[in-house]
Amino acid sequence: MNENENNFEALRRLLALKRHETPPPGYFENFSREVTARIRAGETGGTADASNHVSWLFRLLLAFEAKPAFAGGFACTLCLLLLFGIVYAERPDVTPQPLMATAQNTSPLAATTPVALSSLSTEQPGFISSTNPVFNSPSAGSWFASQGAAVQQVSFRLTGN
Amino acid sequence: MAEPVPRSEPQQSAPVDEDELVRASRRGDLKAYDELVKRYQERIYATLYHMTSNHEDANDLAQEAFIKAFQALKSFKGGSSFYTWLYRIAVNKTINFLKQRKNRTHMSLNDIDFNAEHDPDMVALISEQTPRRAAGLTELQEKLNAALLKLSEHHRLVVVLHDVQGLSHEEIAKVMECNVGTVRSRLFYARQQMQGFLADYLKPT
Repeated sequence: MNENENNFEALRRLLALKRHETPPPGYFENFSREVTARIRAGETGGTADASNHVSWLFRLLLAFEAKPAFAGGFACTLCLLLLFGIVYAERPDVTPQPLMATAQNTSPLAATTPVALSSLSTEQPGFISSTNPVFNSPSAGSWFASQGAAVQQVSFRLTGN
Repeated sequence: MAEPVPRSEPQQSAPVDEDELVRASRRGDLKAYDELVKRYQERIYATLYHMTSNHEDANDLAQEAFIKAFQALKSFKGGSSFYTWLYRIAVNKTINFLKQRKNRTHMSLNDIDFNAEHDPDMVALISEQTPRRAAGLTELQEKLNAALLKLSEHHRLVVVLHDVQGLSHEEIAKVMECNVGTVRSRLFYARQQMQGFLADYLKPT
């Protein structure tokens, strides 16, 4: 038992040497300041939110640096979006559905081509003196009305005469 | 002739009662809590350093322990001293950390100053005709830390608190929330283990 105690005493003396292990000089001068600063930072949640907004962008940039494949994929996605945008922009305008339905019920060429207009005017000899298909055709308004399409009234102003 | 620049010396105010500082800190007075941190930072850090053998880990754990203690001050009932309560927080945090760090031991001895050259025990140890003569200060430090790290967290804590920090059995029992008998048996077992690990340094001449 005495030998054990003696050995323990030697061990205690050896362990006591660990008291000489100290942190770098000046370490404790800033320690309490760091603790209180961290407590203050924890109390003000706004600062943390702001840093979160910065951090997602920062993390994205870091992901680009760390994974080139990720950056390539992101670039490909952007290119595809650009191509899709260009193709979509160059497509001809699609006629709205109600007008399409109207066009199917009648011959669209009859209202727009000069040949059709001339043939229309020949059927009504009283208006043959004029070549203006709109002004001289009294049935133009009734034609649109008969198709049930909404007609927007326009006014023409003659200038120069 | 230029006037001498007045030296900014720390204010030598009367020591404030610990209970008063705790009450003020509980109300959110960070200045009072700063005073409490200054009072106990060295002892808390030293304990955590001897438990982890790593300066960075000890620094992080000590800071976190003080922060957690501030946040939990409202739950401090005063049943024990603030120091014991703070110690308990730091020690529990460290034991949890060490359990997670298991099998991932690393020492950052370069960050620590070992100022034992003039200690009489150290002089005796390295001047005797024993294997430890060949061991330099750094090697001895490494051997000591490695031996401590081989102990379980609870046994290491008892050795550190008693043989390094100099706490009594009763104080250790309060910190570890166990009875004094448990502390004594753990200390005995831990010392036996340490004797085995450091046999070369403990051989009688």
